[in-house]
Amino acid sequence: MNKQQLKSTGIIFEVREFCLHDGPGMRTTVFFKGCPMRCAWCHNPEGLSANIQLLVNQSICQHCGACREVCQNPQQCVVCGTCVTVCPQGCRRLCGRSISAEDLAAELRKNEPFFKKYDGGITFSGGEPLAQIDFLEALAGLLHPIHLTLETSGYASSDVYQRAVQSVDFVFQDLKHPDPVQHRRYTGVELEPVLANLNWLKASGRPFTVRIPIIPGVNDTPETLDRFAELLEGRSGLTRVELLPYHQTAGAKYALLGLKYEPPFDPARPLAINLVPFEERGIPCRIN
Amino acid sequence: MTGRIQHLLSHVLDKRHTALRRDVAWTLAEHFCRNKVSPETRAAEGLRTMLSAEKPVFLPEETIAFTRTIKQIPDLYTKTEMEILRKSAYYHEKGCVFNIAPDYASTIKIGLDVRRAELQARLVQANAENDSTAQEFLSCALISVDAVLDLADRYRLEAERLELRHIGKILAHVPHHGARTFHEALQFLRILHYTLWCEGEYHNGLGRFDQYLYPYFAADLAAGRLTEESALELIEEFFLSCNRDSDLYIGVQQGDNGQSLMLGGVDKSGKDAFNALSRLCLKASCELRVIDPKINLRVSSATPLSILEEGTELTRQGLGFPQYANDDVVIPALVKLGYSLEDARDYVVAACWEFIIPGCGMDIPNIGAVSFPSVIDRTLHTSNAKTFDDFMCDVRAELMKEADHITASLTTVKILPGPFVSILCDGRIEAGRDFCEGNHYNNFGIHGTGLSTAADSLAAIRQMVFDEKLISLADLASVVDSDFKSRPELLAKARFGVPKMGNSDPAVDDLGKALLHAFADTWKGRKNNRGGIYRCGTGSAMYYIWHANELHATPDGRLTGEPFAANYAPSLNARVNGPISVIQSFTKPDLGRVINGGPLTIEIHDSAFRSSDGITKVAQLVKYFIDSGGHQLQLNAINRDKLKDAQAHPETHRNLIVRVWGWSGYFVELDKPYQDQIIQRVEMTV
Repeated sequence: MNKQQLKSTGIIFEVREFCLHDGPGMRTTVFFKGCPMRCAWCHNPEGLSANIQLLVNQSICQHCGACREVCQNPQQCVVCGTCVTVCPQGCRRLCGRSISAEDLAAELRKNEPFFKKYDGGITFSGGEPLAQIDFLEALAGLLHPIHLTLETSGYASSDVYQRAVQSVDFVFQDLKHPDPVQHRRYTGVELEPVLANLNWLKASGRPFTVRIPIIPGVNDTPETLDRFAELLEGRSGLTRVELLPYHQTAGAKYALLGLKYEPPFDPARPLAINLVPFEERGIPCRIN
Repeated sequence: MTGRIQHLLSHVLDKRHTALRRDVAWTLAEHFCRNKVSPETRAAEGLRTMLSAEKPVFLPEETIAFTRTIKQIPDLYTKTEMEILRKSAYYHEKGCVFNIAPDYASTIKIGLDVRRAELQARLVQANAENDSTAQEFLSCALISVDAVLDLADRYRLEAERLELRHIGKILAHVPHHGARTFHEALQFLRILHYTLWCEGEYHNGLGRFDQYLYPYFAADLAAGRLTEESALELIEEFFLSCNRDSDLYIGVQQGDNGQSLMLGGVDKSGKDAFNALSRLCLKASCELRVIDPKINLRVSSATPLSILEEGTELTRQGLGFPQYANDDVVIPALVKLGYSLEDARDYVVAACWEFIIPGCGMDIPNIGAVSFPSVIDRTLHTSNAKTFDDFMCDVRAELMKEADHITASLTTVKILPGPFVSILCDGRIEAGRDFCEGNHYNNFGIHGTGLSTAADSLAAIRQMVFDEKLISLADLASVVDSDFKSRPELLAKARFGVPKMGNSDPAVDDLGKALLHAFADTWKGRKNNRGGIYRCGTGSAMYYIWHANELHATPDGRLTGEPFAANYAPSLNARVNGPISVIQSFTKPDLGRVINGGPLTIEIHDSAFRSSDGITKVAQLVKYFIDSGGHQLQLNAINRDKLKDAQAHPETHRNLIVRVWGWSGYFVELDKPYQDQIIQRVEMTV
């Protein structure tokens, strides 16, 4: 495999049609696998690891034993996928596939007339698309002039961030917490690169929307919301802020990965969402 | 919604009006039998007896009267008589006229007194010509009209006695005379519709409500007698009246009552006819959130997105309304079948989704059904094909045999008379013949069940038997007989290792298309015994449960006891990419060739409708379906957790409404297999 091919091959875990909340019009979203962050409330845990993984839905397993019978590596799963093909209940699937930018672009371009006619397009999400910047750039290059949207945590070097943003038409920029200590505590990474990239984005004049997951007891105090609003002040292409209230169903997919969802906050605690700090600063804001 | 409508709504939802009902143990059939009374007279006397026994009642605050007080309508034939009749001819379902849409408008316009005069004049002619059939029909129609007028008069007197001046005033004019106002027209329509059920007809559609009532609505608005608000209130009251007696109109399941109402579409000259009344009807259904009337909306590629958004607002309520029909596909297809262009432009749906023409169609659009998976199964058990192409030839031959078999069972189809419904249908008085003898269109409709299961099965046979040679045809036949127990490893392959219809994969979509076209071919050119043709369609009615129960496992990995998809939709155990792919797959066939009706059904999670953005996108999805040449679409806003909770705690979900196959009903009133099938459908929610 030469370098060129390496660059333009990525790992994605889903191509989902008719995503309603990922940009204008009818959109298809590509979910990139792998994320540098470890947000305590992540509802797409299958997007965290950059590797292909085996998902097992124990709840519909009838214990027929077909998977055990064919398994060549019972001590340590090597994600060969053999068990997936024999399970009659469809309990098992491989999450993630390696695909070249060319192949994925060809698959997505089939709907190009459709995207055009219905003012839609393609959204890159994840996981964190920026973690596969070469693949992302190559793919975007092959998809223009289809309208492209990027959903990102913004946690990347400024070079990577700018390359990514410049290859799409619109950005959904996530913000998790305005305080560096709390940011590290709840996401596992530093806040600083995110803020640096946000400032560049604001200065660039490019259109973007900010999305803030509102987590009970983590970032829903009036002071925290006020600091979020402060960060977003000033002239920029910010179209609006969307507050995404925490969903009780966030933990639904952990069991598929054999993980337990144990958030370090009380998920049942009612949320206190206050839009005033945004409104005071003239920033359009809504709760999604 | 006004306070008055709120009260009427809770009155109906709490079923308080059922306290006004009584049971009657009729013995009319025995009397008719002893006296050898003719069918026509039985129908008229039955209606007269029923209406004479009815008592005028008024619900508090209502202004559109007529509520059933007797639960049972009289049987017209004894059990033995019916058995004998059924030996001499094929009577479909209950045997009487049903599943049609009459022409209410003409009678609402001129009044029953004029109808009465027409009948008398025609009777004079029949007497002169010694036309005994006409004499009997016309005399019976007169008995029916008089019975209706008598009950209406008693209603008027009771209204006056109770000093319900408003109703009294309206009943002083209709139904004797033609309606002058929107309110009178609605009261008249209520009386006619109510009477049909009392005559024994069922699945009585309401037709193009927004078209035939528009002149009254527009005139009232222009004259200042009505505002949009007061008109909406009247529409809502009328819609509620359709929910008063509907629990007495039981079909296969509670809610299956065929009270369909069509909105929008083009008029007879081809001009777009969606109007302010259409809009208010959508709004009324949105506000009321009850199961009747069942709203259908005719659209085309020229329909503005804003109308589709209004439709989507209704979808959002979770009632399974509106069901969309595409004029671009339906009208030319009906013309191809021999319907006149003018009539085709006037189409409505029968009880569920069968395209029929109000007033002039005496089609029986649900007379039979072909189970595609059974056809594949029989071919699998008999074919010696060496190639997949040969196998497909055998499938076509089997489809032809099935058509021959069904046709042979339908050579003696007859319908029992209905003199009252006849006067609401085009040209019957002039002809002097009951509607049951037929009218302009006398076509039979054949449903096609389980297309996706069959297409997926063909894909499995092609791949496993012919391409990969994993198993022989004969062995696969015994594998399905054993419910995959003899070769369990093939089950995973069949279910998850073979392409499924609904993913925009030509490998399997082309098989679905071939099957559907072959279905159309096998019925082409066949004539029925009533001078009509056969039309085939993509609907399943209740056969998605019945046919599935009759069949063991299928080659696609569907196991014994698992249902098919309802109507025209991906199979329940298929993993699909999403609604775009589903639409692409299911618009590949030439749907004009299977225009008996039957919607593509897509379930969408109710959270999709939360934002206005979501509404627009779902509306665009509808537009995509229409633009792609789809014929009929059913979208459901649904939430699986809510359905499961309703199954566990029916008492707290009394008013949860779901779409079943061509109609909407209360979830908790459905039998469990129907509930389970809906929950399974939702597993593939987008």
